[in-house]
Amino acid sequence: MGRMLTIDPVTRIEGHARVALDLDDAGGITRADLIVNELRGFERILVGMEAEKMPQITARICGVCPSAHHLAAVKALENALGVDPPPAAKLMRELLYMGHFIHSHTLHLFVLAGPDLVLGLDGDPAKRNIVGVVEAVPEVALKALRLRSLGQKLNELIGGRGVHPVTAIIGGMSFDLDEQKLAAATALVDEALELALELATVAKDLINAQATAHPALLTDLQQPTWYMGTVKGGKVNFYDGRLRVIDDTGMVRAEFDAPEYGTYLAERTVESSYLKPVFMNVDGQEHVYRVNTLARMNVAEGMETPKAQSWFEAFRKGLGWPCHLTVPHNYARIIELIYACEKAKEIVSDPAVLGSARIPVTMKAGHGVGHVEAPRGSLFHEYEIDDNGIVQAANLIVATQQNYSSINTSILQAAQVFVAGRGEDAILNAVEFAIRSYDPCLSCATHAVGRMPLIVEMRRNGETVHLMRRDA
Amino acid sequence: MTAEKIRINTEWLSVCGGCHVAIVDMHEKILDVLGAATIQHSPVLTDIKGYPKADVGIVTGAIRNEHDRHAALEMREACDLVIALGTCAVYGGLPGAGMVHTREEILQTVYVDSPTTRTDTLPSGDVSSLEKLVTPLDEVIDVDLYLPGCPPHAAFIFDGLLSLLEKRPARASSETVCGRCRRSMKKTDEAAIKRSHEGVPDAELCLLSQGYICMGSVTLDRCLSPCPAHGIACTGCAGPTMQILTEPNRDIRTELGERMAALTKIEKGEVVKTIEAGAKTYYAYAMATKMVGGKPTFLIHDWIERPGDN
Repeated sequence: MGRMLTIDPVTRIEGHARVALDLDDAGGITRADLIVNELRGFERILVGMEAEKMPQITARICGVCPSAHHLAAVKALENALGVDPPPAAKLMRELLYMGHFIHSHTLHLFVLAGPDLVLGLDGDPAKRNIVGVVEAVPEVALKALRLRSLGQKLNELIGGRGVHPVTAIIGGMSFDLDEQKLAAATALVDEALELALELATVAKDLINAQATAHPALLTDLQQPTWYMGTVKGGKVNFYDGRLRVIDDTGMVRAEFDAPEYGTYLAERTVESSYLKPVFMNVDGQEHVYRVNTLARMNVAEGMETPKAQSWFEAFRKGLGWPCHLTVPHNYARIIELIYACEKAKEIVSDPAVLGSARIPVTMKAGHGVGHVEAPRGSLFHEYEIDDNGIVQAANLIVATQQNYSSINTSILQAAQVFVAGRGEDAILNAVEFAIRSYDPCLSCATHAVGRMPLIVEMRRNGETVHLMRRDA
Repeated sequence: MTAEKIRINTEWLSVCGGCHVAIVDMHEKILDVLGAATIQHSPVLTDIKGYPKADVGIVTGAIRNEHDRHAALEMREACDLVIALGTCAVYGGLPGAGMVHTREEILQTVYVDSPTTRTDTLPSGDVSSLEKLVTPLDEVIDVDLYLPGCPPHAAFIFDGLLSLLEKRPARASSETVCGRCRRSMKKTDEAAIKRSHEGVPDAELCLLSQGYICMGSVTLDRCLSPCPAHGIACTGCAGPTMQILTEPNRDIRTELGERMAALTKIEKGEVVKTIEAGAKTYYAYAMATKMVGGKPTFLIHDWIERPGDN
């Protein structure tokens, strides 16, 4: 029997992801499991390390969302020590993080999902990659690459480095922003905002065209689940706020601060996977829930910035609420991309960002939890430290774990809808499309632009009856 | 520029993915590279099957499982020159720090001791068992150019590729992180070692002179020194200098101890003891390579089993 596994702090997909599809006697697909075999054991590796190094060390968990780990770690340590960093530090961190979101969301929309959007789900597999996108729509592709660069440069300007930033430390930031750097940041942000607004319309048209070509995307690929995301004043927030949980009817079922996460989030080991899926524990029952862009749109009452808000309103009007479709993850990603640019603009326009960004701290024994909304969903870091500031225990919950159950359901639905009576390529494309909708770190990790290296195994009564593979 | 485009394959093994993002972080220059080179097999940019013949192969990540071994061998077979890109490929990287624990310890921590995990079973079914160790690339295949860094700055990647196009040596030198650091080394009266969260470091003075254990002087520069430039002590993510790697009697802790003793009033032994007690932190990135982990003086199991001892 196979099961799934994904990328998370302790596990990573390497090489081939494997999907097992269970068949009934009539040949219908009854169950899907994404299986990956990798465990790095970060929760153990971190024990015994100097706590103040966690923001730098844990960024290395993921080269695709290092800034999320960097900030979740520093917030957890500050929670443990009872430290509140100065306002300038919070603004600088959020600015860094907006740069990261601009990079990450643009990368996903145009490089990872781009081939599906531009060339179609039934496009020639040999061309369904970023090179094919550049050939098909060179102007859009170059603008998208530029927008990604602008976000990453902003992340580097404030974070010291692009991949694996270093400047967030307990008590604030390791340097104060000066006028010169602020001017550089402003130039990046201004250009990014303009490009994002232009590309947003392009991306939305591509998504609409995709939905028109495949009406089943808007009828069959849906899952009523619970949702969780971070809100501040009711609006979507990536850096700070409370976790809000809604059920499949939209009713708020829980709202809590990150340190209470253990009351609500329940991990379970499954037999044939290194990945631990997470369930939402409310009223004595465990519920399947989703995090990510769509979840944030569902739990929030709106967006903090004006242009993102008007896109949000159109999203709600067009798709209803709560939206249980899987495909609009990309639509929501566009809204968040606009928000990230507008929010960055607000920060660079705020003179408070030039303030002193660091306060001294004293190490002591403690226990703390920190969280952020990573591009792919809520991310939690928890540390226990001793009097010498040495990590005694670490616990990490990442986005992809929380979407585990839903990813499997989406694979099953996609396989059932798109595959009946069609060839191997159709099965592989559908499975890959369903997985990629969640932008699991998996899609970055196994990589996959165009086509992800994939093995799909069809089983009847536990016996493999057919094996399909697609190499990278 | 040669008339024919050079052919490049890239591959990732056990990695976080950051080295491939670093390649994309050449920004505008990636278009220059694409103009002069053809990217063939690559997990990020193309979907070319198998491993076509190539002039250059870029391999990121360490060897962790059978697939990694296979892919490394295929890359070696297909590529005239192989670049080991990133600290994981060169030294095993941070996941290599798992070598100080048994697999059983790791599984116990992740699946049983985790406070948010409500089951107490281990995955037992259709999962492959973990390899015992993380293995650097050159223990499995020959490597022509080592480019450590976590990740290496895109400038080094660009220069490395350009040097191959122009058939000249890469500019990547044996300079340490100090080479580009603009802080000034001065003898001070500093008498105590400071952890990086203690105090606020002066912006001009060498961090060692201020009592911070900055690893810049024992670490190869593949980053353009962003950490000391932003008030952060170097954590050694690009791995140790060639001298430390190749000379058995030299080590990170003794080198740093001598240097700090010369720059401050802190005794060498004090520095050595602090680094040993924090060995998981200070050796985090390169302990999986035999050149570090295999040194007879590298006794991490003794050090970390008696943390804070004496």
